[in-house]
Amino acid sequence: MTDPRLASLAEQLPGLRLFTAPAELEHYGRDWTRRWTPAPLAVALPTSVEEVQGIVRWANEHGVALVPSGGRTGLSGGAVAANGELVLSLERMNRVLGFDPADRTLTVEAGMPLQAVQEAAKAQGLIYPVDFAARGSCSIGGNIATNAGGIRVIRYGNTREWIAGLKVVAGNGELLELNRALVKNSSGYDFRQLLIGSEGTLGVVVEATLRLTDPPPPSQVMLLALPHMDALMEVFALFRSRLSLQAFEFFTDVALRHVLAHGAQRALDGEHPYYVVTEFDAADERAQEAALAAFEHAVEQGWIEDGAIAQSEAQAAALWRLREGITESLAAHKPYKNDVSVRIGAVPAFLHEMQALLGREYPHFEVVWFGHIGDGNLHINVLKPADLADADFIAQCEHVTKLLAATLKAHGGSISAEHGIGLVKKPYLGSTRSEAEVALMRGVRQVFDPKGLLNPGKLFD
Amino acid sequence: MKILVGYKRVVDYNVRIQVKPDGTGVVTDGVKLSANPFDDIALEEALRLREKGVATEVVVVAIGPADLTAHLRNGLAMGANRAIHVVTDAAVQPLTAARVFQRLVEKEQPGLVITGKQAIDDDANQTGQMLATLWDRPQATFASKVDISVESGADGKATVTREVDAGLEVIEVELPAVITTDLRLNEPRFIKLPDIMKAKAKPIDTIEFASLGIEANDHLKTTHYAAPPKRSRGVMVKDATELVAALKQKGLL
Repeated sequence: MTDPRLASLAEQLPGLRLFTAPAELEHYGRDWTRRWTPAPLAVALPTSVEEVQGIVRWANEHGVALVPSGGRTGLSGGAVAANGELVLSLERMNRVLGFDPADRTLTVEAGMPLQAVQEAAKAQGLIYPVDFAARGSCSIGGNIATNAGGIRVIRYGNTREWIAGLKVVAGNGELLELNRALVKNSSGYDFRQLLIGSEGTLGVVVEATLRLTDPPPPSQVMLLALPHMDALMEVFALFRSRLSLQAFEFFTDVALRHVLAHGAQRALDGEHPYYVVTEFDAADERAQEAALAAFEHAVEQGWIEDGAIAQSEAQAAALWRLREGITESLAAHKPYKNDVSVRIGAVPAFLHEMQALLGREYPHFEVVWFGHIGDGNLHINVLKPADLADADFIAQCEHVTKLLAATLKAHGGSISAEHGIGLVKKPYLGSTRSEAEVALMRGVRQVFDPKGLLNPGKLFD
Repeated sequence: MKILVGYKRVVDYNVRIQVKPDGTGVVTDGVKLSANPFDDIALEEALRLREKGVATEVVVVAIGPADLTAHLRNGLAMGANRAIHVVTDAAVQPLTAARVFQRLVEKEQPGLVITGKQAIDDDANQTGQMLATLWDRPQATFASKVDISVESGADGKATVTREVDAGLEVIEVELPAVITTDLRLNEPRFIKLPDIMKAKAKPIDTIEFASLGIEANDHLKTTHYAAPPKRSRGVMVKDATELVAALKQKGLL
């Protein structure tokens, strides 16, 4: 440890684990984006709130930038450390601190993986309902920092809805206890909500108190094959009016092709351009019959061509894999990702414009569409042709994203529905937030982190 | 050739089984019930034999209470031609189930009975074997591969690869026979929604258990149910020496 700053950190916090080996710097210096070369100063893995405070105070003393870091499954570069920052990994702060049966809350350290949180809730006979494919790796702290959404938003909302209280170390090292799990608290600014989605720029989330809820009734999972894009929102409206939906996700035949090539089990024969995976409450035969009736009606209307229904939890998982396996199946193609949203009512018009835009601008690239269509959230993945240089590919995609951002602005949508702005979406923040809003964001940041040491360069410059 | 498929309904494989507080059984209220996974595999294999032209008719059979209809409809939607529902509210032990199948075999004269090697509720692994004995026909248990061509089927032969302790064993059986399925035999298909509609028109024969003239001679007595003991916490050892010492102390080395 030749760097005197690190020597001083080690001296101030003798128990703190510090990594400086190149392999560790690379591992902890990047997320699921592969655009930036990781180059952190070092990686610190604190095990207590006091250590986190110590690190932040040390950073202030030496002017070292910090990158708060969880499971690093982010897709916007929010956890990338490419400029000599200290990675502050919450990985070792991963314990359950308490369960309160009266409040029905679970208090955990920020580094706990989402799946571990879900399992801890389940052990109490309750659920933590936010869920998405990265559950095994992503951390609850990262979920909070991006207001993560996922596949159950249609029923349960985003992470924001489930945070009862937060403990946060602010930019000056001070520990803030935000909202203390109160259900009702009308006492001024709710900094807890401000911290949610702040992408590590206002403070380091060290502990979270999460609301839990009752498990949903038994459900059924269907895969539906649709003949055209217009049918998507028709089927959604129909199913939402007749069933109690837990999820409603769509993907295209292009996406399906990749997932099947990646080892998923084919569920339907024939070629269909669009698919929906939907899960809904089906506690009794009546609910199951209602689902079949809705299906029949959609077939009569020409909105659905074929469908399959899971007969067991294993088959339900196999159908879900067709949707959840997409991101992983595309990874080798270094996809350029858009994660956009519009309000649900604006989806049909927006989809048409997008289809025209992407068809025009990406005549030679493979474009994979999928997403949480029931939330107005669309993921567009553009696959890099193997013979095209990374930089050229990204440059072409960025050009299209500019056009996409203009379309989004016209529809009042968002350039980042659930991935966060990070580094990737920074140039387009103005399409979603007004100048006045961004100016206020900068001001807020100045208050929480006067020296600008927390995740600098993310969200905005 | 006609194939009879044993198609039992059980608590879903992915449900965490909970023992009733009084120890008289496991909780089944509000718990997802599905086809026994091995029986799903049996049905899939029967359907594939029909698709190959070896079989002409696939009949699913379930023994149990009146509400089994929806379960049997799933079997029909998956592709069975018809279903037989032997109605009884009593719990059915393997020998009784085998006797029921024996009666049905006499009536239906199938060329093959395929059923799961065991049901995942009682894990008895007996019904197929008992049926083969009562029927006095060959049995090929734990099948991971079933070869019956149109020609060999007409000759009355099936080549079955069995999963045995030492690995795999290939045997030839004369038909009619009983085959019980192991996990690797196939991957059951999904049920298509349009087929659920069509299945409503397929016949389900209902037979009262009492009308079969079988006495349910329950010689298995369950004394009580209990959850397995919780795994105790592990012990951390510092190095190999300490590990060896700990194992020796427990008499394991």
